[in-house]
Amino acid sequence: MMLTLLDELLLFSGATLLVALFIGRGLAAGWMVTILYGGQLLALLKMAVLGYGGGTIASSLSFEIMGQELSWRFDGLSWFFALITIGSALLSSWFSCGAWERSYIRQGGNIWLFHTAMALNVFTMLILLASGDLLSLFIGWELVSWAGFLLMVLAGGVATSAAMRYITYAMAGGMAIFGGLALIYTASGSLQLEAVTTAVEQMSGAKLWLLVILFGGGFGVKMGLMPFHLWQAPAYAETPGPGSAFLGAISSRMGLFAILLVLVKLFGIVNIESLKLPFTPIDARDLLAWIAVFTIILPTFTAMKQNDARHLLAWHGIGQGGYMLLGVVVADAMGGAGGLLHVFNHATYQAALFMAVTAVIYRTGTSDLNKLGGLVVRMPLSFVVLLIGIIGLAGLPPMNGFVSKWLVYRSLLNQGMPLLFLAAVIGTLGTILSVYKLIHNIFLGQLRVEHEHVSEAPWSMMIPMLILSAIIFVTGLLPGIPLEWVASALQTVGLPVPDHTLGGIESASGSLDMIWVIGVLFAGFGVGALVFYSAGRSKRVHQLDNYAGGHFLSADVRYQYSDNFYAGLMHLIGGWYRGSFLWLERSIRSLVEFLSLGMQGLYRRANAEFYLLTTALFVIAWVVI
Amino acid sequence: MSSIKQIPVVEAKRTNPLARVFDDLVRFCRSRSLFILHYCTGCGAIELPPAMTSRFDMERLGIQPMVSPRQADILLITGYVSIKTLKRVILTYEQMGSPKYVIGICSCTVNGGMYWQSYATAKKLDEYMPVDLYIAGCMPRPEAVIEGLQQLMDRIHAGEANSWEDYYRNYDYYLGNQQKLFGEDWQTPTDVISEAKHYDLLSNGTLGDHTRLLEQHQKPLEALEMRLGHEQKEPAK
Amino acid sequence: MSATELLIELTLMPLVAFVVGMMMVLMMRRIAAKLQRRVGPPFFQPLYDIVKLHSKRTQVSHGLIHDIGIVMAMGGYIAAETLLPVPGMNGIAEKGGIITLLYLMMIPSLGLALGVGQCANPNGSIGIARALTAMLAYDIPLVIVVFGVAYAAGTTNLIDIIATQQAGGFETWGVTQMPLLAIAGLIAMHASLGKQPFEIYIAPAEIATGPMVEMGGKYLGGLFVMQCFQLYTTAVLYVSLFLGGGTTWFDFLLKSFLVLAIPMSIAYLFPRYRTEDLLRLMWKWPVMLGLIGIAFVI
Repeated sequence: MMLTLLDELLLFSGATLLVALFIGRGLAAGWMVTILYGGQLLALLKMAVLGYGGGTIASSLSFEIMGQELSWRFDGLSWFFALITIGSALLSSWFSCGAWERSYIRQGGNIWLFHTAMALNVFTMLILLASGDLLSLFIGWELVSWAGFLLMVLAGGVATSAAMRYITYAMAGGMAIFGGLALIYTASGSLQLEAVTTAVEQMSGAKLWLLVILFGGGFGVKMGLMPFHLWQAPAYAETPGPGSAFLGAISSRMGLFAILLVLVKLFGIVNIESLKLPFTPIDARDLLAWIAVFTIILPTFTAMKQNDARHLLAWHGIGQGGYMLLGVVVADAMGGAGGLLHVFNHATYQAALFMAVTAVIYRTGTSDLNKLGGLVVRMPLSFVVLLIGIIGLAGLPPMNGFVSKWLVYRSLLNQGMPLLFLAAVIGTLGTILSVYKLIHNIFLGQLRVEHEHVSEAPWSMMIPMLILSAIIFVTGLLPGIPLEWVASALQTVGLPVPDHTLGGIESASGSLDMIWVIGVLFAGFGVGALVFYSAGRSKRVHQLDNYAGGHFLSADVRYQYSDNFYAGLMHLIGGWYRGSFLWLERSIRSLVEFLSLGMQGLYRRANAEFYLLTTALFVIAWVVI
Repeated sequence: MSSIKQIPVVEAKRTNPLARVFDDLVRFCRSRSLFILHYCTGCGAIELPPAMTSRFDMERLGIQPMVSPRQADILLITGYVSIKTLKRVILTYEQMGSPKYVIGICSCTVNGGMYWQSYATAKKLDEYMPVDLYIAGCMPRPEAVIEGLQQLMDRIHAGEANSWEDYYRNYDYYLGNQQKLFGEDWQTPTDVISEAKHYDLLSNGTLGDHTRLLEQHQKPLEALEMRLGHEQKEPAK
Repeated sequence: MSATELLIELTLMPLVAFVVGMMMVLMMRRIAAKLQRRVGPPFFQPLYDIVKLHSKRTQVSHGLIHDIGIVMAMGGYIAAETLLPVPGMNGIAEKGGIITLLYLMMIPSLGLALGVGQCANPNGSIGIARALTAMLAYDIPLVIVVFGVAYAAGTTNLIDIIATQQAGGFETWGVTQMPLLAIAGLIAMHASLGKQPFEIYIAPAEIATGPMVEMGGKYLGGLFVMQCFQLYTTAVLYVSLFLGGGTTWFDFLLKSFLVLAIPMSIAYLFPRYRTEDLLRLMWKWPVMLGLIGIAFVI
């Protein structure tokens, strides 16, 4: 039997898992696993034709079960997501090798379990991405869910409860997807991908609605879409450093992949648009768009209130997912490209940000934004990484986040959707506020006395961070590179492809050429620097030589603003944070508890005659009716 | 010591005529753009609002109020200086960017004025920092204030208002007077001696007995340099 | 267009912006003076200030980021000017468009925010926190306005937006086509200038000029330069969106100065709002006007 390229990749990935599993306790295990990730990346790059418009590459593995054929294959979309998955796994794993690993072990962490969980995550994600029919999709989905749980539960304590919450949500989502599959199976008698299309043609509006809700909800849980977003931030934030970088970069994008595959490719945006919500002017597509927009705004503003760097970033991860869905749902050339490009961009900067924060935790032992400050003089490189990351996250030029957000804005503008546009921009503005708080409270302001001896993060952590920063900048400067892959993925799901150049987008209604924009920006910085540095030598002063209204500052009294950072804003909007979703979650939980108590009470009676009577009555009723 | 006349004005030897023109332009701009920080200690403060607002309008002359010492050129002290205040005045003066000018308004800054017998008042301001200009009176009218400011402008244009250099050149003298008043453990957050080195103004009077006394107890004030070092330094638990 | 011509344009556009911006600063200070029945500063006062600040002997730096922040604050605007078409010069306007311009205009603020952050002065940090809050306040109506204009013109290219307005004279100007958006834009523009009653982040009596508290010498000078660019950019952007840009330099400058004079004349009559009141005001009236305006456009 000939091994196809996909087989090679999956075998490589499985081998990585085995290596982590069996020799993961060895000293160089981390490095070995990292090298194997590199091998996976090479195997993936051998399939690069997929990323440039090539067809599909099937796996030779396929079998039949209960009359259903299970098969696995890669196309442009899978390749794009797989690239991000393996890339972020490679860099996260690299980051975890050496210094971080040692400190993790010192703090009582189980490094073997960590490497295994990472490898398992990558392996299951690849299986999911390769799924060639709905059954294999479901299997992949469940595998990914449990693999994620394994990684999240590692840290113990708070992380365990967060992971339990995650798995509850994930199981509920899995059930919803299973329900959707059952519906499709009854309608078309098959679970091949084409079956969905036939099922959609035959189904009535109400059933289609049900299908959209089941799939959208099921996949949306993984993406952290409103109102299923509550689990994500604590679960990701409490995962050990490199793990959170990996999860934050790609894990929840599996939901977007599935949505693209099922809702966009198989249902077709047109079919979704034809589903009207009764008594309102909106249809299912608008509903998805509005869900996306609320997923942007609410988590972003929740992030602004976080006082822990990791939680802040994790909340932003949820919010940025909204942009991707929004772009995909708008589904014109620019929107689709923007949404997909944002997956790539988000993975790069989110991983870099989590790594930078982990580096800070590694050196200072805390990620509490009120207990840091002024670290730029001690960890300048980490500062640069975090800065590049937040510029990307906030979507400002010259980093890559700007390009994808620009595409999403443009698509909303072209389609004439002012409210969605406005909401997307509000999300961006909120992000800017919140990331400034992040960088200010960690790296700017007053350096604390206890951090005077801190030094820069070790190279084993620094190099992956710098690589990511370089990717963020280069793909911002030359967005044409990832846009090629995005175009291939868009073709796979049947969305239009925008005219793109190496520097950006060509369009009759306003183009974007990042090479020019960034060139001019840096020329501007150059002129600014010329003016600035020609004007006389500066003298560095100590941070306590500072204006305090005539007060004599001393090192033991903090002179720093970090808590309640946007006090004026919170005066107005503070009351709007009601925790309604938390309340909803709690009430559902109490309801379930109450019901289960009731059931328990019922069983406790152990009244056999009563059960028999009820059952018999039901059977008779069913037969009669 | 603090007399303006004693300061040797070192004229930069510049042969390039363009450089001369440039220097002249800079001096002109310095004289026509003065940001004042009014340290309103006493009753003289009341004369400043009229000097600034519609009646006399200092902005005509390019003079405008500023808020923090970093932004200001002129330190305007408008009345008696109690010892407690003087500490803050000195702190503020040292934080200002040179070339900087000090103007003492009202008699109190000249000789203590009506507070001559007060145990808690610094009598002569120029014992603690070089003063460019006194505007005497109790209190001087806004016309007098503006007249004084104009004199200062002329002096700046002529390149004569260099008393700020005196603070660096004779720091030991000023520090001594300050220590006499505030005690031996007196220290400001500004590292004046390193600044003197930075401006090339270190001279015989900069260092002396008093600065040695300062160095004995001084908390280090070197700027926190950016460090790229990766070597692992275990944080003290 | 040849490379030399483009290079000349790219050099001239920021230069012109700076000179015009200085005159706008002068106008602002003169208007303030006139309203307070003063004489006001002499003609070259903005230049004197900038030259003096750059020629100070003391340049107090709190670190590399403090320096870079000022460079970014100046450089970001210098870059932004090349995306802003003026009569006879388009620079690289068609390579970016208005969304890029709006985002490029945030770079100087971000640079300033970083620079101020390293000063380790809570007054500055509070100032930046307030400035960002103010940005959240006025950018929402501004974005509505920009959306409306770009949607009505069917393009994000500023050159095309100006050309459509100039096609039919006064009749096709943005301000006559979309008066509600124009009003909303004016309010948002006023707030974006950070002048009274919206100067929450300067607040000299409260947080000691906020971001500028530790800035002296060329650092403050850089911010003065940035202010020149800021006034120019804001005014010219408004003129390009609503007043048909300029066909000649004369009417272009006339419109820019006039449009800037409106908020200036209002500004010095008012004290300062509190932060939450600014937010409430900005999120209520201009947003409402803007949304109604957009409803008319669509």
